[in-house]
Amino acid sequence: MEFLANIGLGFSTALSVANVLYCFLGALLGTAIGVLPGLGPVATIAMLLPMTFGLEPVTALIMLAGIFYGAQYGSSTTAILINLPGEASSVVTALDGYRLARQGRAGTALAVAALGSFFAGTVAALIIALFAPVLAAVALSFGPHEYFSLMVLGLVASVAIASGSVEKSLAMILLGVLLGLVGQDSQTGVGRLTFGMTDLLDGVEFVAIAMGLFGLAEIVQNLENPAERNSSVARIGGLRLSRQEFRQMRGPVLRGTAIGSILGILPGGGATIGAFAAYMAEKRLSRTPERFGQGAIEGVAAPEAANNAGAQTSFIPLLTLGIPANATMAMMTGALILHGVTPGPNIISGEPTLFWGLIASMWVGNLMLLVLNLPLIGVWVRMLSVPYRVLFPLIVALSCIGVYTVSNSTFDVMMMVAFGALGYLFFKLQCQPTPLLLGLVLGPMLEENLRRAMLTGRGDPTVFLTRPISAGLLVLAVICLAAMILPAVRRTREVAFEE
Amino acid sequence: MKALAGSVVLLALAATAGQAATYPGKTIEIVVPYAAGGGTDLSARILAESLQKHLEGSTVVVRNEPGGGGSNGTGKGLKAEADGHTLTIGAQGPIALLPHYGATTYSIADVDFLGLMGRNLQVVLACKDAPFRTFAEFMDHARANPGATLIGNSGAGGANHLSFEAYGKATDTSYEHVPFGGASEALTACAGGHIDAVTATPAEARPHVEGGAVTPLFVMERERIADMPEVPTAVENGVDFTWSSWKGVIAPKGIPEDVRATITAVLAAAMADPGFVQKMQEMGEFVDFRDPAGFETLAREDSARAEGLIRDLGMYGMNK
Repeated sequence: MEFLANIGLGFSTALSVANVLYCFLGALLGTAIGVLPGLGPVATIAMLLPMTFGLEPVTALIMLAGIFYGAQYGSSTTAILINLPGEASSVVTALDGYRLARQGRAGTALAVAALGSFFAGTVAALIIALFAPVLAAVALSFGPHEYFSLMVLGLVASVAIASGSVEKSLAMILLGVLLGLVGQDSQTGVGRLTFGMTDLLDGVEFVAIAMGLFGLAEIVQNLENPAERNSSVARIGGLRLSRQEFRQMRGPVLRGTAIGSILGILPGGGATIGAFAAYMAEKRLSRTPERFGQGAIEGVAAPEAANNAGAQTSFIPLLTLGIPANATMAMMTGALILHGVTPGPNIISGEPTLFWGLIASMWVGNLMLLVLNLPLIGVWVRMLSVPYRVLFPLIVALSCIGVYTVSNSTFDVMMMVAFGALGYLFFKLQCQPTPLLLGLVLGPMLEENLRRAMLTGRGDPTVFLTRPISAGLLVLAVICLAAMILPAVRRTREVAFEE
Repeated sequence: MKALAGSVVLLALAATAGQAATYPGKTIEIVVPYAAGGGTDLSARILAESLQKHLEGSTVVVRNEPGGGGSNGTGKGLKAEADGHTLTIGAQGPIALLPHYGATTYSIADVDFLGLMGRNLQVVLACKDAPFRTFAEFMDHARANPGATLIGNSGAGGANHLSFEAYGKATDTSYEHVPFGGASEALTACAGGHIDAVTATPAEARPHVEGGAVTPLFVMERERIADMPEVPTAVENGVDFTWSSWKGVIAPKGIPEDVRATITAVLAAAMADPGFVQKMQEMGEFVDFRDPAGFETLAREDSARAEGLIRDLGMYGMNK
């Protein structure tokens, strides 16, 4: 009963005219900046923060939250249409989404992404409303040991993600880990692999690498191959999903929502890992894993659901513990503090209007995004029929601006160009760039947490197995590894029998 | 020839005089060497607002130049033209610590200190499930287990790390320092009971203290602080130890004297503005205005102290 009263309070707050208006404004702005590659929600929220001074705290927060999940929607749009993932969490969406677009099914891919995200966002908001305090405790129980084991699981899973040669995937992961090591060592402060360049002390900017390897490399490929390019532009494809397509996306969306919701709670890259994990799970479960990477609807539905669910549940540590799970949430903390609200364990009882109003606004916001995005799909897709000679310089220019705005650094723009060249080389060598990005994200976290775990555990490696969560994750990793090796064994056996 | 040189000097003088009359001739930029949204960035934005109010006809904007722990933006700010139109937020890390590691394009000698804005007070917290709850218990535990108490910090070589190394030196105790990727990560690990103690600002600590996960042990100030009056200082427990980090406004050396006088006067007025002070306090910032001389003394003392610590740790010049 109390829950219903709370939800009632939430909706009465979220549905006030001003809040609905600002929610819409936030969602619209978010979608727009998400579509512009690179210009992320962090920079946008920073720029808009002073404008919210005059607003009620809850109204300000609703608008900023709208920007955040709007950007998640928007960045999937560019990932699907032009293979430009603006955010780490939409890298996976690009894998199958862009394939679908090239097959003339861009409309389908975008619709699947929008519906999947909507469903996941709705469910995740419900999860926050029901379980936020309990889940916050789970997030706190993750120490260095647990994070290390989670990263091991992630790296094992990332081998499964890639299609094609296992050796090449492994090589790409290692290259990614190596790139991730560039910069100041977190445990001693010494610069590693920086070659004396101060620009490299903070490491290589993720956005620059992702946009180079995916976006720029794709453009070079397209320019090399004009015939193929035209065929993808000519057909747009219907926006309506067939009954069969609905059936195809149902399971993946449900599982993606579950995986994304859980991983999103963990501070530090939860939403990204969630998207990767959901994709991996679908590929494992599928009876036809070879379709993945070739334009599988499941390959769009699952990660999209996961990253949107994760984006939403990453509010849990902020609202219940005052702990920002990622850079955007750190901005939200700043916004709350500026409005005189201290995020922390007391926020639910101390600021019920704000807490429940924000949660209710997530439903409203997700609905708005759906209403906003479904009609826009036609517009985005029509953008593709712009002649490529006009489109590609535009993409390059927007990419440069996007990368530059991350930290006002021309060095990052150069890096993007270099990685564009590298991405083209990888394409020629038939090496997939996705495992590299995973190595880049997970590798440094793996190392940091291993060293931290050895420090706090006084050099005792058995702690990884005696702490239950850590042990459970490691067991999962072993199962994953076995599942990967076993089908291969079975297949060779089958081949042997046939002979 | 002499006449020519004379007229050049005259022209230059005229130019400087003209500058004061027209200052600010264009938009004033405040370089923040950190990403948007952090405490320093938000303080700078509030200061910009207040400056605009106190300097007639001026437009003050904030430009974020993050990277290198603040050394990137500080370096750029100090390389800007010394005409008073580019001010920089000078924080303890980039000015007093980082030059000793060797990866900066500047040293403290290049800095013109214009006014201290505020300090970040430091409170030491006992983490969830830590075997101590008071200052005395903490010290007993530290003495009984040399090098074993796990102290989380926000990054190796940062202020948060050095301050506790300095505390160990002052009390003749030793600790296991566990670096995290930022203050909030360390505080999270503390609230989860994965380490024994951590240092934080009162504003960062408050929600966790109120939630009961962590217990404040002592503050690194000479006097008890208004925010947490029940928490003792190390000094009153017989340990002569204080540490705080700080931020103020700096500029490259060589700003024309009259322009500089205008800036320092306006800064003093902007930072004394009740609206500014109130907003800063609401954000949990500790406003502590000091004039250029007072600011410089503080910075130079901290720089000398940090250099000693960094040399002891064998980290001097490691990123050169």
